[in-house]
Amino acid sequence: MGDLPKGAAQLAFDGRELYAASTPGRSFMVDARCLQGAPVRGAYAHVCALTDEVAVLEFDQPEVQQVRRDALAWWIPLLGDALVCLTTLALDESRYGGAITVAREPVSWIDDPFARLFPGTVLRTDLFCDVLPPPGPVLERYAGVAWPGGRF
Amino acid sequence: MKLDPGERFPDLDLPDHTGRPRLLSEVAGGDPVALVFSRGWWCPKEQRHLREVTALQDEFEVAYTRIVVVSIDTPEVQAAFRAGLGARFVFLSDAQRQWLPRLDLLEETDTVHRPYRPAAFTLFPDLTIHAAYDGYWYWGRPTVEDLRQDMRAISRDVRDDFQR
Repeated sequence: MGDLPKGAAQLAFDGRELYAASTPGRSFMVDARCLQGAPVRGAYAHVCALTDEVAVLEFDQPEVQQVRRDALAWWIPLLGDALVCLTTLALDESRYGGAITVAREPVSWIDDPFARLFPGTVLRTDLFCDVLPPPGPVLERYAGVAWPGGRF
Repeated sequence: MKLDPGERFPDLDLPDHTGRPRLLSEVAGGDPVALVFSRGWWCPKEQRHLREVTALQDEFEVAYTRIVVVSIDTPEVQAAFRAGLGARFVFLSDAQRQWLPRLDLLEETDTVHRPYRPAAFTLFPDLTIHAAYDGYWYWGRPTVEDLRQDMRAISRDVRDDFQR
């Protein structure tokens, strides 16, 4: 993974833990806003990603577009005040490796639309901060930053 | 308050349909905006018009443009209405009539709800008004074609590489 685009940050996942670094495990780009504020201690992160490098989709594939629509339409409203932030996991400007939804309390992760693409792992984390959810309806990414981050 | 083309629209600070505080400028996020003021969920004209706007979201979602609806419905009611429409854009709630008098957009003939007069504005990313529509009479509202044309005109102006 080369230079990060503006608005992106690096995150690693080894199957059990998340790290605000490029290692250990598999490295992803996330919406940097999720890591820039005061962290929510003991939050619950639903990591819908695998550590296997072959677990890749294109951001523009219809199923990856549709889970973003579902996030805007009902996943974010369903989470209500529990939502801390969410970010997709980008491998580069065009490839999707998963998504993370972070909540301040346990929620019904079985409803997570991103888990339809890659299975989810629930873990406790102190990495993430509150970020206002995307207002929609934009699904496109800005200059290669992981949705919903970035802007022109 | 003058809300004519060329004027800067005020940076509304209102809760969204999930109850989170929002700023219009933050919701715009540097993109052109279609800003729709709506009487409320109960009005058949609003239901019809917002179904039309919702149909356009499939284009907005890929075109770096935003849709924002403002009404006096509470966030909970907006969330239900939004779900019923199948909308994926943001609703802002002015249930407290915080901005309605300042914008001078009171629907004076509905003394029961005291809602917004139906109106719409297309905005540049910095909230400068491109076009204003008075939808008190239904045909005064922007059609989907009006909104397409406005988004094209604004995008042409603000995207340096819009046309080579």
